[in-house]
Amino acid sequence: MQFAAFADQAATIEAEPADLEIITHVAILFEETESDADLERVARFVQGRVFPAWDSTKLDIGPRTCYEAIARAAGQNVSADDVETSVAERGDIGAVAASYEFGTQRGLGAFGGGAASSVDDLTVTDVYETLEAVASADGSGSHDTKVDLLFSLFNQCAPEEARYLARLVLSEMRIGVGEGTVRDAIASAFEVPADDVERALQVSNDYGDVAVVARTDGVAGLESLSLAVGRPVQAMLAQAGTAHDALEAWDLAAVEWKYDGARIQLHHDPDGETRIFSRNMEPVTDALPEVVEFAETISKPIILDGEVVAVDDAGDPLPFQAVLRRFRRKHDVAKTREAIEVRPKFFDCLHVDGEDLLETSLTERHARLERVLSRVDGGGEATSGQWLTDDPERIEAIDADALAAGHEGIMLKDPSSTYSPGRRGKRWLKRKPDVETLDCVVTGAEWGEGRRAKYFGTFLLSVRDGENYETIGKVATGITDEQLVELTELLEPHVRSESGKTIDLEPAVVFEVGYEEIQTSPTYSSGYALRFPRFIEVRSDSDDPDTLERVKRLSEQ
Amino acid sequence: MFKAIVSAATLTSALDSVSVLVDECKIHLEEEGLSIRAVDPANVGMVDLTLDAAAFESYEADGGLIGVDLSRLEDIAGMAESGQLIQLELDEETRKLHIQIDGLEYTLALIDPDSIRQEPDIPDLDLPARVVLEGKDVNRSVKAADMVSDHIALGVNDAEEFFYVNAEGDTDDVHLELTQDDLIDLQVGPAHSLFSLDYLKDMNKAIPGDTEVTLDLGEEFPIKLYFGFAEGQGQVTYMLAPRIQSD
Repeated sequence: MQFAAFADQAATIEAEPADLEIITHVAILFEETESDADLERVARFVQGRVFPAWDSTKLDIGPRTCYEAIARAAGQNVSADDVETSVAERGDIGAVAASYEFGTQRGLGAFGGGAASSVDDLTVTDVYETLEAVASADGSGSHDTKVDLLFSLFNQCAPEEARYLARLVLSEMRIGVGEGTVRDAIASAFEVPADDVERALQVSNDYGDVAVVARTDGVAGLESLSLAVGRPVQAMLAQAGTAHDALEAWDLAAVEWKYDGARIQLHHDPDGETRIFSRNMEPVTDALPEVVEFAETISKPIILDGEVVAVDDAGDPLPFQAVLRRFRRKHDVAKTREAIEVRPKFFDCLHVDGEDLLETSLTERHARLERVLSRVDGGGEATSGQWLTDDPERIEAIDADALAAGHEGIMLKDPSSTYSPGRRGKRWLKRKPDVETLDCVVTGAEWGEGRRAKYFGTFLLSVRDGENYETIGKVATGITDEQLVELTELLEPHVRSESGKTIDLEPAVVFEVGYEEIQTSPTYSSGYALRFPRFIEVRSDSDDPDTLERVKRLSEQ
Repeated sequence: MFKAIVSAATLTSALDSVSVLVDECKIHLEEEGLSIRAVDPANVGMVDLTLDAAAFESYEADGGLIGVDLSRLEDIAGMAESGQLIQLELDEETRKLHIQIDGLEYTLALIDPDSIRQEPDIPDLDLPARVVLEGKDVNRSVKAADMVSDHIALGVNDAEEFFYVNAEGDTDDVHLELTQDDLIDLQVGPAHSLFSLDYLKDMNKAIPGDTEVTLDLGEEFPIKLYFGFAEGQGQVTYMLAPRIQSD
């Protein structure tokens, strides 16, 4: 398939406001994609993905690298800074990429030399294979190789192709196609029930594969897909809620401690490998040797869901930042391990010894978890407790215990619920303590002054409103110098653009922020402002900031 | 079979002239010397290098092919002082390259040649103009153009018989003319092409200032740029595809 044909359909989809029509257009795109290899890629490309979610191959191209490649392809005297300035003005890398005239650099192929390459138009396969080469470039000189490869793609692009290539490269497709759209489009294109597609997506975590299986083997093919030890699935997520909500909905609630740690998914095969994934399905195995050592004593193939918590010498929990210091570490693991100890706390069990447990009840899964870990040294310590109760006072007491032990509070779960990967449903509720804090996503920053000039000093905070983020305030107080260094490191990979001292960030990091009061205000796009905001900590629920709706509710109290 | 002793300066020159374009390459170990051909990932610039057996202190090879990580090999070669000798020996069984510099022994893991990007074909170009000049003049031209632009135009005025360099920036321009007197040799012909300085700057890094460099040019055609090293027993040829002039 020509990349131009994909770009053309992407433009049709982007221009379509109605959800149902979007599904129809995506379904047509899938039907018209002839080869299976292309279908696999197209099913991911429409969501701005290049590789399957479970694959540890990540594109990981920073905006700056992309700007450099575009600048070079754009012709005479366009610099990466020029591209960045345009992105800051237009707010869309796609529109900026489409505004240049590419293709002025000729290749040696046109003169009968160079490596054999298609002089023809760019295909979906060309794009995929080149991005694969970009992802696999590492080591010294890899930055230049990445720019060279991206440049070669942009250089072959017409404006409309460039628009979607740039967005794909930066994983921000923004054509209104979400996971549900792709599910429904696969169902519609290949005439299979959406529920079967949904289940297949949950266990395989691979939109490309599911699209191909649906087309070639139909319902039977989809049913044959199952969990695989070593291939991560999306984590089930929780909403905010109260004990009252929980008991009203389910009569009986399963209560668990909520840890201030980082979510992990453990895949262990006694005859194969032990692998650990973050909640974004990034491999974190090498960073957590304690957990690997623990897992290696388990005698059955398993997939477990849990958290890692950092603890001090007395075994008391440390804040989430401490876990982060361990979590993303690639070097000096042993040294950091000495400084910060982590412990796993598992609360769910997705698979034991060839048996998928997604469809079984929460209480049954917890019983299986206890059984598996009871046979392991330290297994009791690594199993998170679960209490069933219909008594609000008992729930209060468990909450008080959790807080006294230094944890965040409690989770309330529906005892009969099945495990729904990637879903933020009402079956799991997280009860937050009633203090005046908000979880805000950081969407901007300003460079500091004086001795803090090398670090970000002020952070622009936003809350979620549907798919969008609306600003609500700036925080600069409550942050130590040491934390500023860490926060700068944490946020720098997410810089979209810079102009003067102001930095535009992609929404990726969530701060817990304390405040005195929420006021209505014309200063920020949310229509509200936080009075006396102060930084408390980086939140582990990195993709779950508070919503504008909650802000409204809090302001009315 | 491959076993050779070579001066650090010669090996370093050879590696540097390839590494400006690619990170990994295939090296052909022929009886009469070694050769490397590589093209950058965008298929815009290529290098063709040969180093005769005579450039080595001793050389034995029978036509093998190895794949190397250039920056690794450069780092190792960098451990030697320029007058020192480097001994290279291929272990056919383990597919590793044993490198000895004085008492230092280094075993370098090789890369599967099949995993390295395909070697380029050399375009058969009939370029009408030829400019022979000193490496330092190429360096000066590239440096001057780089001050104002990211593109450089190279051409020959066949009526008035001079070689010229043009670079146009957003505000400033650079123009340089070199006549027969300034050049080692000039064969006039219609020639004017625009190139990306990104590539030419990299290639320029590998050109020694005191070397005689030949540029073959045409109209909107690739440039062929070549020079010798290791007292003429090594030869580097670069080819770079042009950019289309927008106006």
